[in-house]
Amino acid sequence: MRQLFGNPAATPLRTRKGETDRGGTWVGPSRCFHPRQKPGKAPPREVSPSFHSLSPFFGVFAPLLGCCIAFPGPAREKTRPVRAVGLVLFSFLLLSLFPGVCGAEPVDLTILHVNDLHGHILPFTEKSVHEQEPVSGAAALAAMIQRERERNPEGTLLLSAGDMFQGAPISTVFHGKPVLEIMNHLRFDAMTLGNHEFDWGRDVLGELTTAARFPFLSANLKDREGRYLPGVMPYALFTRKGICTGVVGVTTRELAFRTKPSNVEDLTIEDPAAVLPSVLQEMKNRGAQLLVVLSHCGLQADMDLAVEVPGIHVIVGGDSHTVLPDPMKVGEALIVQAGYYGMYLGVLDLSFDPSTSRVARYTQKGELKPVLSGPDRPADPQVASMIREYETRFDARFNQAIGQTAVDLVRQRHAESNFGDLVTDVMREATGAQIAFQNGGGIRTDVYKGPITLGQLYSALPFDNYLVLMDLTGKQVLELLEQSAALAVQILQVSGLTVVYDLSRPPGNRVVEVMVGTRPLEEQAVYRVVTNDFLAAGGDRFTAFKEGKNVTARESLRDVVIDYVAKRSPIAPVTEGRITFKTP
Amino acid sequence: MKETIRVFVDDTPVSLFRGMTVKHALMSRDPSLYRAAMNGEILVTDELGHRMGLEGSLLEGARLHTRRAGPVSSD
Repeated sequence: MRQLFGNPAATPLRTRKGETDRGGTWVGPSRCFHPRQKPGKAPPREVSPSFHSLSPFFGVFAPLLGCCIAFPGPAREKTRPVRAVGLVLFSFLLLSLFPGVCGAEPVDLTILHVNDLHGHILPFTEKSVHEQEPVSGAAALAAMIQRERERNPEGTLLLSAGDMFQGAPISTVFHGKPVLEIMNHLRFDAMTLGNHEFDWGRDVLGELTTAARFPFLSANLKDREGRYLPGVMPYALFTRKGICTGVVGVTTRELAFRTKPSNVEDLTIEDPAAVLPSVLQEMKNRGAQLLVVLSHCGLQADMDLAVEVPGIHVIVGGDSHTVLPDPMKVGEALIVQAGYYGMYLGVLDLSFDPSTSRVARYTQKGELKPVLSGPDRPADPQVASMIREYETRFDARFNQAIGQTAVDLVRQRHAESNFGDLVTDVMREATGAQIAFQNGGGIRTDVYKGPITLGQLYSALPFDNYLVLMDLTGKQVLELLEQSAALAVQILQVSGLTVVYDLSRPPGNRVVEVMVGTRPLEEQAVYRVVTNDFLAAGGDRFTAFKEGKNVTARESLRDVVIDYVAKRSPIAPVTEGRITFKTP
Repeated sequence: MKETIRVFVDDTPVSLFRGMTVKHALMSRDPSLYRAAMNGEILVTDELGHRMGLEGSLLEGARLHTRRAGPVSSD
C-alpha cells in the first residue's frame, strides 16, 4: 500500500521519514501514480482482480477457442448452442483487447470512520443506544474495526473527523496520548483537525502530530504567510485495490470561537468552500479518483459544502455530534457522521466505478454500528491492555497530591464561601478580568485541610466548564446581582467586587451597595467580566450575561484552578466579606 | 462574524454566543430541559430528526427539537 501526503507548493514537508502503518514509507507529496501510469497521463482504468486472474485464459486460449467455435467450419454447422458459447468467448476476446470499450468494473471499498471521540476510551452507559449494556470503549471499538477491516482487507480506509483527544479525564490528564497510541495501534489512515485539537496549545498539538503514524489534515488553516501548520497536511492520497483516494481535511470556520483564541490567533481560517475546489483539482491532477472530504465543520456546513462544491464523492463529518444512522445524499455527495464519544463506528461500503468516476453503490441503511462493550462482546486484548496501563497511571495521578490547603475549602450556595472566593479569584487572575462570577452550584464538594489531589478537584469541579470573558455595563452587573438575590439559594460567588444585599426588600431592589475594587459601581461604566459558559449561556436564569459584548471563550475552569493550586500551594483562602446581608 | 447566533429550541428562539453548543441552547431556553437531557430523560434532535449530542456545534438558524427518551431495541 502506498500513502502519499501533501501539497508540494505550499506544504512544509515532514522532515522525518517514518514508517506507514502498512510497512511502506512516508514519501512526501507526490502523485498517486498507478503502477502502469506514465507521468502526465491519466491513470489507466482498473481491471478487477478476478478478471486479471483469468487473463491468460482469455488472452490466449479463449480467443483461439472462441474463433474456432464462433466461426465454425462446415462440419460444425449444426451445433448452435456451442456456437453461442463461441460468440460469448469471442466477445471476451474483444473486451480483453480493448478494455476501454466496456470500461472497468466498480471496485468495492470501505470507509470506516469515527469523530468527536473526546477521549472516551472507557465504556459508559447511554440508554439511548442500549438499555442495559455499556457502550463505547476503545477495546470494543478496536475489535469492531478489525472485524470490519477483515471483510475488505485491501480496500479499507480508517478515518477520523477530529476532536479525538480532549474531554474524558483519562485522556485529558495525559494530553490525549492514550487516544493517540490507540489510533496508531489501529492504523488510522488520516485525521482532520478539530477545534479541540487546539485546546492545549500548539506545542501539545505538535507533540501529537509528531507522535502520530498517520497524517493530520486541514486544508483551510494556514499561518499568516500562507503556509499550512507544521506537521499538518492539506490532504493525503491512498491507493486501495488500485483506486487512488484523495482525502482532504477541513476545519470549522468558527475555530476562533471554539477554542482558546490565543491558541489560533496567528492562523488564517479560510472558508472550506473557497479552498476545496483547487485542492480537489490538485488531488485529481495527482491521480486521485475517489474524492473524500474529512470535515470538522458540522452537518449543516457539510450539507452546504456538498451543494457549493461539485465533485465531492464522500464527506466524512464531525463537530455537530450528529448520529446519522444512514448516509445522506446531497447533490452527488454522500455525507456520513458517526455521532460522538465512540458510541458508533461508521461503516460505509461503497462501490466506486473508475470508468465513470462515480459511486455506483453504497450502504443505504444501517451505516452506523453501535459499539457495545458488554462482557460477552469481542475486545482487542492489546487495546484493553493499553487502557489498563493508562487507568493505573491515571489512578496514581488522580490520587497524587498536587498541592495543599491550610484550611478547609467549603462551598456555599446561599452565602459567600472561601471555596467560591478561591475559584473566582483564580478566574480573574487567569484572565485579567475586573470582576468574576461563579455559580455556587458549580462547586460540588468540599476539600478538607491537607493535601489536595487532582481527583478532589475533579470531584469539586466536575463540569467541563470553560471561562467566558465579556464586557458588561455596570447596570448589567447590577442586574446580575439582583437576579442573584432574587434566586436566594444560588447566590453568585464573586471576585473583584463587594455587594451588600437586603433580602427583606422586594426582588429587584435588594442590592443596596456594590463596590468594584475600592470604587462604587458605575451603571454606565463598562467592566471586563469573566464567568463560566454555563452562566454565560443564561444558565440558572442569569439572563444578563447574555447581553455581554466582546465575548471570548477561554480555557477550562478546572484547569486554571488545578494550575493555581499546583503553583501557589499552600493555599489558605478565607472569606473576606465580599457578600454581606443587611439585617433589619 | 457576529459574536452571537440565534437558534431555535422547540421553535422558541434563543440567542447564544457563537461557539456555544447544544447544551448551551438548552440552558438558555430552560435550565430544566438541560437537566433532563443530562439525566437522559430527553433527547435532542436537529430539524431533520437526527440525534445530536449535548456538545454538538450549532450554526446560525439551527433548529433543535427535544423529545422524551424512549426505549431502544436491544442489539
